[in-house]
Amino acid sequence: MSNYIPTIGVEVHVELKTKTKIFSNSTNGYGKMANSLTNVIDLGYPGTLPTLNEEVINLGIKAATILNCRIRKVMHFDRKNYFYPDISKNYQITQNETPIGYDGYVEITKSSGEKKKIYIEEMHIEEDTCKSAHRGTKTLLDFNRAGVPLIEIVTKPCLSDGEDVKLYLEKLKELLSYGNISDCKIEEGSMRADVNVSLRKEETDPLGVKAEIKNIGSISNAKLGVEKEIERQTKLYDKKETFKPQTRRFDDKIGDTVLMRIKETGNDYRYFPEPDIPFVVLTDEMIEEAVKTIPMLPDERREKYLNIGVSDINTNKLIQNRSLSDYFNELLEEKINHQIASNLLLGDISAYLNKEEKDIKETTLTKERFIELVNLVDNNTLTSKNLKEIINHILEETKSIKEIMEDNNIENITDDTEIRKVIKKIIEENEESVKDYKEGHDRAIKFLMGQVMKETKGKINPKMAMDTLKEELE
Amino acid sequence: MKEKLSKEEVLHVADLARISLTEEEISKYQIELKELLNDVEKINEVKGYDDDILIACWENNTELRKDEAGEMLDPKEVVNNAPRHSGNYIEVPVVISEGEGA
Amino acid sequence: MYLNKSVKEINELLKKKKIKPIDLVEEAFQNIENNKELNAYITLNKEDAIKRAKELEDKEVDNILFGIPIAVKDNIITKGLRTTCASHILDNFIPIYNATVVEKLIEKNMIIIGKTNMDEFAMGSSSRTSYFGAPHNPWNKNKISGGSSGGSATTIAARDVLFALGSDTGGSIRQPASYTGIVGMKPTYGRISRFGLVAFASSLDQIGPMTTNVYNNALLLNAIVGKDEKDLTSVKKEEDFTRLIGKDITGLKIAVPNYFMSDIVNDEIISKVKDTIKVLEENGAIVDYVDVKYLENAVTLYQIIAMSEASSNLARFDGIRYGYSYENPENIEDVYLKTRALGFGEEVKRRIMVGSYLLSGENAKIYYNKALSIREDMRKALKEVFNNYDLIIGPTTTTTAYNLDDPMDDPRKTFMDDVLVIPVNMAGLPGLNLPIGFDKNNMPIGMQIIGNSFEEAKIYQLASYLEKKLNLNLDPNGGENNE
Repeated sequence: MSNYIPTIGVEVHVELKTKTKIFSNSTNGYGKMANSLTNVIDLGYPGTLPTLNEEVINLGIKAATILNCRIRKVMHFDRKNYFYPDISKNYQITQNETPIGYDGYVEITKSSGEKKKIYIEEMHIEEDTCKSAHRGTKTLLDFNRAGVPLIEIVTKPCLSDGEDVKLYLEKLKELLSYGNISDCKIEEGSMRADVNVSLRKEETDPLGVKAEIKNIGSISNAKLGVEKEIERQTKLYDKKETFKPQTRRFDDKIGDTVLMRIKETGNDYRYFPEPDIPFVVLTDEMIEEAVKTIPMLPDERREKYLNIGVSDINTNKLIQNRSLSDYFNELLEEKINHQIASNLLLGDISAYLNKEEKDIKETTLTKERFIELVNLVDNNTLTSKNLKEIINHILEETKSIKEIMEDNNIENITDDTEIRKVIKKIIEENEESVKDYKEGHDRAIKFLMGQVMKETKGKINPKMAMDTLKEELE
Repeated sequence: MKEKLSKEEVLHVADLARISLTEEEISKYQIELKELLNDVEKINEVKGYDDDILIACWENNTELRKDEAGEMLDPKEVVNNAPRHSGNYIEVPVVISEGEGA
Repeated sequence: MYLNKSVKEINELLKKKKIKPIDLVEEAFQNIENNKELNAYITLNKEDAIKRAKELEDKEVDNILFGIPIAVKDNIITKGLRTTCASHILDNFIPIYNATVVEKLIEKNMIIIGKTNMDEFAMGSSSRTSYFGAPHNPWNKNKISGGSSGGSATTIAARDVLFALGSDTGGSIRQPASYTGIVGMKPTYGRISRFGLVAFASSLDQIGPMTTNVYNNALLLNAIVGKDEKDLTSVKKEEDFTRLIGKDITGLKIAVPNYFMSDIVNDEIISKVKDTIKVLEENGAIVDYVDVKYLENAVTLYQIIAMSEASSNLARFDGIRYGYSYENPENIEDVYLKTRALGFGEEVKRRIMVGSYLLSGENAKIYYNKALSIREDMRKALKEVFNNYDLIIGPTTTTTAYNLDDPMDDPRKTFMDDVLVIPVNMAGLPGLNLPIGFDKNNMPIGMQIIGNSFEEAKIYQLASYLEKKLNLNLDPNGGENNE
C-alpha cells in the first residue's frame, strides 16, 4: 500500500445543559414520555415566534472562551431551509453568517508526547431536531428534542489520523463537561461527531474526495472509523479507482464504515437572516460575568495538584472524577498532606461512595472534618485498618473524627514511653523468641509484634511499635 | 410569444418548494414565474446604494429570556392535531434516507 | 340599534345597564346575517360570543371597549375558534393557543364575533385568492373590497361591527380601507406583538385596527399595543393614541412625495388629494412637494423580500403536525408534494416558488441581499423626510376598487395595486388610510397619512382634523354619519 496524507476535519454537536429549550420555555430533558416536553413553538405551529434563552448565550460565551475562540459581539441568526420531518418549521434556526465563536483551538498531547493544536474554525448556536424512530413502513416523531440548544464546533481540516480525532474528542468532552456546558454523553446523543476524511499524495496537492462519517457511537469508534476509512480510500487510490463524495456511517456490528448515500451537488439550504430575532449584542459585562463562572479546567487542576505533591496517578484519577476533584479543589490552600488527602478520597471514600451510589456532597464529610481526618492519618493516630472500620460513621455522622474513634474504642497508643514500657515487658517475657530473632529467624519478630498487639488489645500504633521493637532488640 | 422559463427550471423551483405540478400547471408557471422574475430583475437597475442591510425594522436588540420552564402541551393534544399519529407519536410514512441531522 | 352610536354612548348605556353586551352581540350577528352576501366572514363565533356576552353581564364595565363586538382577520390565531388563513390547508384547523392581540382583546372584555375573509395567507390585494370566495364591496357588490384584509374592511364598511383587526404586510390594511371608505392603520413595526399572527413576511407584517372612524381606531390601537415577551421584535412603548385628537393643525409640516402624485395614479384620485391638500393649507398646515429616493423601487423590493420570507414561513405547512394532509401518500415526499399542491391556492404557490428561487444558490446574493441593502437606503430616505416634516401624505391607492370579475391572469397586477402603500412596510413606519371622498361612481377614495416611527398619535391628529372638516357620509347604506 502506498502512503497518502489524510486530511481530517471534525464537526461536533453538543447539547447544552440548560433548563429550557433555546427558542421556547419548554423543558430541555432526556428520556421522558414522547411529545411530553413540547409547546406550540417547538412544534412550529402557525403564528408562533422564537424567543432566545439567556443561558444558551452564557454557555456559548463560556464554550467559546474554553475553546480559545474569539467572541463575536453582534450576532444575528439565520434560517437554514430544508424539508425534513425532524425539523418542525422545515427550517432550522442557526448561525450561518455570525457564529458566536471563531478562530479557536484546543491542545492535545499525542502518545509520542508531541503537543498539537487542533484549530477551530467556528462554533455556532442552533436548535436540535426532533427524534425519529423507523418502524416498518412508518416513521414515528417525538418532538421532545426539538429545540434543545446545541453548539456546533467545526475544526479546520487540520487533523491527520485516528489518534488525533480520538484525542480531540476526548479533550473536547473533558473541557465541555468540566465547563458545565454539556453532559457530552455520546450514548445519549448529547455529543455527536461527524468526521470528514480525504486523502492526497502530497501536501501541495488539492484536497482529495471527501467522505463524511456520521452516527459515531463512541470516541473509540471515531478513531477506528477514521482508520478504516483511510484504509478504504488508500485501497481505492492504489487500485486507481475513483469514488464520489459520500456520507458513511460507522456500523458497530461489523466495526467498519458503510455507505449511507452519495452526496448530491451541494444542498441548497437557502440561508437568509432570521427576521424574528433582532441582533444579539454581547456587552463586555455579559462576557465577563459568564467567564467568571467557568470552573477551573482540567489542565489547570493538573498543574496545581502536581505542584502540591499529589502523585501523577492520583492527579489523573482525581481529574477523571469531577465531583472529587471539585471537593479536592477546596483543600488546595490548606496546610495538609495532599497526597494523603488524595489517597483517602480515591481509596476508602471512593469505595464507600461507589457502594452507596452517593456523591461526596451527599455525605457528612465537611471540609473541617476531612482536614481532621487527613491529619489523624498523617500522624498515624488512625490506621488504615481502623479507618476501614469507621468509614461509614465518618461519612454518615457529624461528630468529630476523634469522637467517632472513641465511640468505637479506637485509640492508638502513640506515647513513646508507654510503647517502650510495653515492649520491654514483652521482651522480658519471651527470651526464647528474642534469641531466635538474634539468630536470624525473621518469624520471631512477627510473633513478638503479635504479643505486643495482644497486650495492648491492638490499640498501639503498629508502625511506631515495630520501630521501637526493632530498636529495643538491637 | 411570451418569454418562458424552461420546464426544468419550473420543476426545480417546484421541488425546492415541495409542490407537485401537473403538466398544465407547468406550462402556466413557465410564463407566470418568468413574468415575476423579470419584474424582480429590476433590482439590478438600482444603482448607488450602500452595502448596509436592513433585515427588519428592529427597534431594539434581542432581550434574552430567563432560563425558566413554562407550561407544556399534553402529548394527547400534540398528536390529536396531527393528521397521522400512533400512541404519543406523530407519524409519517417511513423516511428512508437519513436525516440532515442538526 | 346601538352599533350606529359612538363608542362613548354605548359605554354609557352599558354602564347604566340600559343595554347589555348581549344586545350588541345579537345586533352584530343580525347585521352580519343581513349582509351575508358580502361574504365578509369565514367563521362566525356565535355560540362562544353569546356565552361571553352573558358572562360579562355580571362584570363591571371597566373600560371603554367593554362588551363591544370585534371582528378578527382569519390569520390571527384564536384558541378553539377555527383559523384558516383563507386556505384549504388550514380549513379545519382549530388552534390550541391565542394570539397575544387576542388575549389583549379578551382582557379588555371585547367580544370576538368572527373571523374575517382575506386573501389566502394574506397574499393578494383583492381578497379573491381566498379559498372561501372573495368578499364584496358594500359600496358596490360587483367590486372588490381590496385585500388582503378585505373581510375586515367589508364588515366595517357595512357597519356590521365597529371594530376589526387586520394585518398589513404591503398595504393589506390601508388599501382595502381605501377601497371601502374606512379608517385603517398599520402601526409602527414592533408596536403590536406578532405572536399568533400567521407569518407571511415576518419583517413586514404588522397587525392593525380597522374602524369606521379615527377616534375608534386610536382606541383600539390603545388596547392592542405593547411589548410582548413572546415577540422579540415588539417594543415597550405606551401612550394614549387619542391624546392629539381634536388638536389644531396650524404649523404642522406635511410632505407630499412627487412620486405619489405622478401619472401612476388615477386623475380623479389626484384631484381629490389636491382638494384635501388645499383644505390643509387653508387651515394653517404647511404642505410641500418633495422627492424621496427609491420609492419607485418599493414594489421590486417587496416582491423579493416578501416572497423569499414567505417561502420559508409557509414551509411549515407540510401535512405532518397539523392542517390538511394528502390522504393517500405513498411516501414522505408524497406527503409534502401533494399536501402542498392541493392545500395551497395558485397565488400562494406562485409566491412560494418564486421565493424559493430567489433564495436558492447564488440568487440570495443577487436578489435578496441586494434588496436588503436598498431597503436600508429607502428607509433612510424616508426617515430623512421626517427631519423636516411632521407627516407624509399622498393617495393610498392608484385607482378606486375595481370589478370582482376583472381578470386575475397577470401575476404582477396584485403587487402594483400596492405601489403606494408598500414603502411604509419597508421602512417599518406607521401609515393610515383616511377616506377623503368618492369618485364619479361613488366609490371611496382614500388618503394615506404616514408618520415617523412611533408617531401614530400625530397621524391621528391630522386624520381626525380632516375627518371633521370633510364630514363625509361613509355609510354605504346612507345611514347617519356615526362619529
